[in-house]
Amino acid sequence: MKVLIIEDEKALAESILAYLHSEQYTCETAADFPTALEKIHLYEYACIILDISLPGGSGLDLLRELKANNKADGVLIVSARNSLDEKILGLKSGADDYLTKPFHLSELAARISAIIRRKSFDGKNDVQFDDLFLNITAKTVRVNNHIVDLTRKEYDLLLYFISNKNKVISKGAIAEHLWGDNMDMADNYDFIYTHIKNLRKKLMQAGAQDYIKSIYGMGYKFSDHL
Amino acid sequence: MKLFTRYFRINLLATLVIFLLASVAFYFLLWYVMLTQVDEDLKIEKREIETYTSKYHRLPETITVNDLRISYESTDIREKTRDFRTIKSPVRNESEDFREIRFSLPVGNQWLMCKVSKSLEATQNMNRSIILISLMTIILILLVSLLINRWLIRRLWQPFYQTLTGIKKYRLGEKKAPAFAESRIDEFNLLNLTLDQFIQGAEKEYRLLKEFTENASHELQTPLAVIRSKLDTLIQDKDLSRAQGDAAHTAYEAIQKMSRLNQSLLLLSKIENRQFSETLSFDFKKLVEERIAAWQEFWQGKDLQVSVSLQPASIRMNMELAEILVNNLFSNVSRHCPVGGRVQIELNEFQFIVSNDPASGPLDREKIFQRFSKGGQITDQHGLGLSIVYQIGEVSGITVLYDFKNQQHIFTISF
Repeated sequence: MKVLIIEDEKALAESILAYLHSEQYTCETAADFPTALEKIHLYEYACIILDISLPGGSGLDLLRELKANNKADGVLIVSARNSLDEKILGLKSGADDYLTKPFHLSELAARISAIIRRKSFDGKNDVQFDDLFLNITAKTVRVNNHIVDLTRKEYDLLLYFISNKNKVISKGAIAEHLWGDNMDMADNYDFIYTHIKNLRKKLMQAGAQDYIKSIYGMGYKFSDHL
Repeated sequence: MKLFTRYFRINLLATLVIFLLASVAFYFLLWYVMLTQVDEDLKIEKREIETYTSKYHRLPETITVNDLRISYESTDIREKTRDFRTIKSPVRNESEDFREIRFSLPVGNQWLMCKVSKSLEATQNMNRSIILISLMTIILILLVSLLINRWLIRRLWQPFYQTLTGIKKYRLGEKKAPAFAESRIDEFNLLNLTLDQFIQGAEKEYRLLKEFTENASHELQTPLAVIRSKLDTLIQDKDLSRAQGDAAHTAYEAIQKMSRLNQSLLLLSKIENRQFSETLSFDFKKLVEERIAAWQEFWQGKDLQVSVSLQPASIRMNMELAEILVNNLFSNVSRHCPVGGRVQIELNEFQFIVSNDPASGPLDREKIFQRFSKGGQITDQHGLGLSIVYQIGEVSGITVLYDFKNQQHIFTISF
């Protein structure tokens, strides 16, 4: 699946590229408006990561261009501006999601896979990981055809892990994903630990193997191999 | 002291002194003129008597009228003519002043001393009347001029006071600059023009400063994003040692703090720039309930005893700001309430009150809403949460108060 990263900050584009590359994504980058415009005309992407402020033009114009050409590419806006108005404007102009800088790469990956799921698997709302089957619409999880009873947060956490499988996810990223940016309880990671402990327990009780690994004090890794 | 009062005091004093001096001078001058007149009359009388005696060689009949008295005394020698002088009444029990002339008169071969005196009463009365009238006129003039000045000056200064009221109501950063009315007085127009230019200049500087804060915060977001993404990439490295992992974790936390601080500064400057102008009426109770539900988990984790009493309340303000306000208050409580402490959340039609057990004593009422004021000993807090609450109150027309009562921190929002 092809992902286009339209971002003028080269270092950031490289990080995104490196992070997504090891997933199933093939990534391309565009650092300015004309390059981006050319690329979106020439190719089709599963998802476009779009920075609003670009040299040579506004990301919103690119978005309008896409919509005018009936392109089905999913669009995730990343912007330095955290304002509701701009968020609404972006979404109204046809973006699928909006992410404010600075973001965690794991959050970005989760959003991208959500967009791609919505776009490419119309009607097929299942996500599979080893023995786990997630129904996105019903928000249910099955292990060996048994429904695992998860709380809302545990389900979110599991989906987040699967979207970032084989990656180390920092505790801060998990906290921000579960509670949002404005709950500033990040200095207390006990809450994350509680949720992860419960999720792990429930999955193992249902017969799945232990996918969640704690990586020192940094974070967690979700993986089906040791 | 008002300018007019001061001016009038000086003016009144000067006028009074001048008028008094003038009155005194006038009195003496008038008295002198009148005396000369009386003396003239006496001289005429003297001449008449002299003419009469030299013609008929006898004294004229003395007709003593009330104000003119003539008397004769026989003397041996010719006395020198005495000049005019003012004497007390020659008749006893009368306190009138008289003007008198004495002269010797030859009647036959005898010298007679003739005294002609004229009462000064009429003259004195007249003089008094004139002085009285002029004094009254002076007082009247002063009084009238005081009233006219007062009225006139008040009218003339009207534009000045209007400008002053406009300035008093005006606050920097508000969109509405005061509009000064055109005046017919050049000085006032000049004042208004100067003030107008000054306000516009200050307004521009203020806007630039605000924009600077906002732009600076925005510009910081991208480098922060780069650092964070690099850390995200870094921790994927399988060969990372434990120490390196710890370092990465510390760096994460610092970035997290910085990013939050930046977000808060940005939010503050946006609130101050009135970028949340869209207001609507909404169910405040529902919003509070939602936020309580979100925080519940953390409160339980800290064993806080939260008692909630909510009555229906509707509020008119920006919804995003309302959410931030409630959230920041709850966040503050979550941070500062000691483990196992009590928290009360109350909502009624007019007030939203959040109170909690203190970790230590009362907080400084003056400083609590100031930026970067760290209330407690918790170092991991940037101290902007409550200033945001306060600032939201400022722009939304609701009051935010802190109090320490019954060993509880109490935050009251009145709307």
